[in-house]
Amino acid sequence: MTYEEFREEIKKLKASNKYPSLKSYTLPSLWIAEKNFSRIDPEIIRIIAQELELPLVEVEEAARFYAMFHTKEKGKYVIRVCTNLSCMLNGAEDIVSELKRLLGIEVGQTTPDGLFTLEEYECMGLCDGAPALTINEERFLRVKKEELPQILKKFGWKGE
Amino acid sequence: MMEKLLLRNVDKENSHTIDVYLSGGGYRAFKKALKEMTPDDVVEEVKISGLRGRGGAGFPTGMKWEFAAADVKEPKFFVCNADEGEPCTFKDRVIIEKDPHALIEGMLIGAYATGCRYGYIYIRGEYPIGRKILERAIAEAYERGFLGENILGTDFSFDLYVHSGAGAYICGEETALIESLEGKRGEPRIKPPFPVNAGYLWKPTVVNNVETLANVPLIIERGGKWYSQIGSPDCPGPKLFPVSGKVKRPGVYELPMGTPLEEIIFEHAGGIVKDRKLKAVFPGGASSSVLTSEEINVPMDFPSLAKAGTMLGSGAIMVLDETDCIVKATLRLTEFFRHESCGKCTPCREGTDWLVRILRRIEEGKGSEDDLDVILSISETMENSFCGLGMAAHNPAASTVRKFKDEYLLHVKLGRCPFRSV
Ligand code: SF4
Ligand code: FES
Repeated sequence: MTYEEFREEIKKLKASNKYPSLKSYTLPSLWIAEKNFSRIDPEIIRIIAQELELPLVEVEEAARFYAMFHTKEKGKYVIRVCTNLSCMLNGAEDIVSELKRLLGIEVGQTTPDGLFTLEEYECMGLCDGAPALTINEERFLRVKKEELPQILKKFGWKGE
Repeated sequence: MMEKLLLRNVDKENSHTIDVYLSGGGYRAFKKALKEMTPDDVVEEVKISGLRGRGGAGFPTGMKWEFAAADVKEPKFFVCNADEGEPCTFKDRVIIEKDPHALIEGMLIGAYATGCRYGYIYIRGEYPIGRKILERAIAEAYERGFLGENILGTDFSFDLYVHSGAGAYICGEETALIESLEGKRGEPRIKPPFPVNAGYLWKPTVVNNVETLANVPLIIERGGKWYSQIGSPDCPGPKLFPVSGKVKRPGVYELPMGTPLEEIIFEHAGGIVKDRKLKAVFPGGASSSVLTSEEINVPMDFPSLAKAGTMLGSGAIMVLDETDCIVKATLRLTEFFRHESCGKCTPCREGTDWLVRILRRIEEGKGSEDDLDVILSISETMENSFCGLGMAAHNPAASTVRKFKDEYLLHVKLGRCPFRSV
């Protein structure tokens, strides 16, 4: 998406009349950016601030507050491994270390080809399928270490 | 076996579609409310039912609606809190994904009763699948004339939208949720004023949790009196219990309020994996105090758990077996709170940080006996936090130090975690 297309999307959003206050469009606008750009950069923040008639800092604050928004560069696919209690009890730590090994990166990093970002994440409400992970919007439940290469290959992983 | 009420639809094929919902009697309660009852009648019926909010606080729903209905500021907003972020809570997810129309119908009835013109479903960002299902369900409801202007030929108009959060546990707190809906960082507001009088854009705003709303069509259809006779007398109704951790059959179980914890774990959830011994249970989410294996014969309802020194919270039951380390589990839950503390007030921001540091050093075998007293004194200070997050974040730490002191001390004595294979 180009910046101009992004601006058009926000205009469309505003035209939906979903909220009685312009500021309420902040999160929906940030979501469009999150999905269509590799990071929420200062230009994106500027466009949102202009369209919603807000001070820059207010948009920036929101962008930084929420865990799902990336103001730093992310990969095409974000792998979120839940390590909260039920997943931890069911082996989430092994899943994290195996992913680190397979992808050759640490938690919080992105593979050099820009394909995957690995994140440890809080409970995603998939605890009946612990250990659980998601890749972008797809979920994987009761994940076993041995299944990881196959899962990654679905998303274009070329390793092993 | 109790008749399934809240989960009555979830096993049907395509249960998320309006056709399946209608064929099971869906939207009948809403029509009844709209055509045969005044808004006051609806509030009265919900009051008679004794329904209390299922989000954690347990506030009587009928009373909340009465306050909102009495406020004259316009417009009023009706918000569904679908931001279940309490660790190991996944009950609302089941309703959102499998029975979205029950939720929409509950909101419609509530909006009619309180005079709300606009509604938002604030869904956590981690539920993208649920968001799509809800958006589709809302579109279906518009097509059939259940949403929009002059609904079913009456004066009642209601527009409903989905608003997606973006990963912040604190937004499950209703005033933080409202801040977030306004486009801000999710930081709690001072109460009072309460949202029913000054919520979204400082207008009257009802905030109800998903599970709470899913009860509403049942109450209107079968009557508050009928409802009030299910389960515990002072907190009636069916309840969804998400059970996870070391049980054979993790999942969401619908049972009457007051079902004993032991029965839920051993009968419904199939007992402990590999038939190991049960060690400990957090009975109401990550901010509840722990129960030992001797304490699980307790009815799962608000007053009984309070009496047992813990709380029902979201009703999320987290089970640990004899091979699990209590210090490590506590550390993980406390890390969660440190991560989610919004940083607005000192007891919570600093307290969660210190607890994590101390628990980590104990878990690594570098702690001392004095650390246990420090944990308890930090815990006391955190009682003075600004909002519920900080006030409850220390419960796992304080309660496990008290009840599993020997296991903590063993870490100190051995200089390592006794459960970790070296
Ligand atoms: S208790 Fe924690 S979450 Fe609540 S306002 Fe204070 S810092 Fe924020
Ligand atoms: S604990 Fe992992 S999804 Fe809930």
